[in-house]
Amino acid sequence: MWQEVAEVVARSLLISGTATMLAAFWSIPVAMILTAKESEFRRVLLDLTNTLVAIPTVLVGLVLYLLLSRSGPLGFLGILYTPTSIVIGEAVLITPLIVSLSASVLRETRAGIWEMAVSIGATERQALVTMVTESLPRLMSVILIGFNRAIGELGVALMLGGNIKGLTRVMTTAIALEVSKGEFEFALALGGVLLFVTFLVTAIVRKVGKTA
Amino acid sequence: MRIRRVFVALTVAVVVSILFLSIYQTGQHENILRVTTTTSLYNTGLLDKLAEEFKQMHPDVSVQFIAIGSGEALRRAAQGDADMVLSHAPNLEKRYLDDGTLKPGKIFAYNYFIIVGPSDDPANVTGMSPIEAMAAIYTAGERGRAIFVSRADNSGTHNRELMLWSLASVNPSGKTWYLELGADMALTLMVANEKKAYTLSDVGTYLKFSDKLGELKPLVERGDALINIYSVYVVNPVKVPGVNEKLAEVFMRFITSEEGQKIIENYGIDEFGKPLFNAARGDPTGELKNVWESMAKLG
Repeated sequence: MWQEVAEVVARSLLISGTATMLAAFWSIPVAMILTAKESEFRRVLLDLTNTLVAIPTVLVGLVLYLLLSRSGPLGFLGILYTPTSIVIGEAVLITPLIVSLSASVLRETRAGIWEMAVSIGATERQALVTMVTESLPRLMSVILIGFNRAIGELGVALMLGGNIKGLTRVMTTAIALEVSKGEFEFALALGGVLLFVTFLVTAIVRKVGKTA
Repeated sequence: MRIRRVFVALTVAVVVSILFLSIYQTGQHENILRVTTTTSLYNTGLLDKLAEEFKQMHPDVSVQFIAIGSGEALRRAAQGDADMVLSHAPNLEKRYLDDGTLKPGKIFAYNYFIIVGPSDDPANVTGMSPIEAMAAIYTAGERGRAIFVSRADNSGTHNRELMLWSLASVNPSGKTWYLELGADMALTLMVANEKKAYTLSDVGTYLKFSDKLGELKPLVERGDALINIYSVYVVNPVKVPGVNEKLAEVFMRFITSEEGQKIIENYGIDEFGKPLFNAARGDPTGELKNVWESMAKLG
């Protein structure tokens, strides 16, 4: 049984890790664009992003399910009920969160660094690079928060993955299943494992981030 | 430059993990049979057991169960996302049979729903027929002496509960003593226990949870209106393209074969001292089919 638990943990880490990197990949550039200049339009976009942070996971799951379903427009990809579909769903889910938090990090650094860099004669490009470099450690924490949201969510994994044993069963769907089977003690133990693993990842990333 | 390095590292990491995932999946891409199923079957562990035995005969086949309520299970099959459906909601099944989504199926197992309630039984339903019991709960509810907790999630159990109310010619919808949860059987039983309320349950989930349900007792356990019929359907490839019809039929034959039926009627003896399901064995008297028909009509 514990071998199955180990598999589920590894699968969760792989799926949520990939989803987080994917989300960071497009979210941070978007955050840079949104904070590069002050304008009413960009502020509205940011408000919208902040709103989307509150989107229910099961709603993201449902929308993507209808897209990826065999009868949906992306059905030909045949990725519903596979780990890939959970990766995509979680990446979409945490995008607003990462954009929103990165934007506030970048905006703060910008206030301090941008003006200074420009005033000592840096080009706009150099100033931008300096700004992002200075923000890196805090952006790293933002990405970690995104990862934690991804690994702890249930709605997307259940809807898109289907909680299939040995293929798409992840920590959260396994916990939900044990609860509905009445195995509360085992569900609690799994919950403990989930939090412990998340804690480990957080600690390791912080350590690595410091030395890099 | 530091940013570029981070960016390159990120790109490489994303590409590698996506490659890894796609390799991991293609390994499983041969001969997949996708089955959407009612949770009341899956959560007992019976289906994993059947799949395990099936795999010994067909090692190249991967049977994947997606356990959801019967309503959602049928809907997802209609969307084209399952090859096979296991369901226990005749009235819903009828709809999908009529519109051609499902090919005519087979009844493979049955057991009984049970009406559970507080041990002191304020509505006095013990010993009554299921329909009398529902009427008595209604009357007691109106007098403020009983609470009923409903799944309210369009599952097979929920559909049966609605049918029982309508057979008793009462409509509890909107009453203050009638709590509509929108929850699975497990949670519904827990709520009924906390509130000392009546509810309708499948027998498997109730037995699994009975050690946590100190306030509750099964009160009505028999009666035609409580027969819980499990049917298996292959999705119709003419109506829903892409269905793995061949494999679905092989698995259906296995479930209804002597070997499959033996597994079904013995399942649960180790854990509960009695079996959770009765095998239908082809329904020789046609009685199950009759009950199924009359329920499908009522929906």
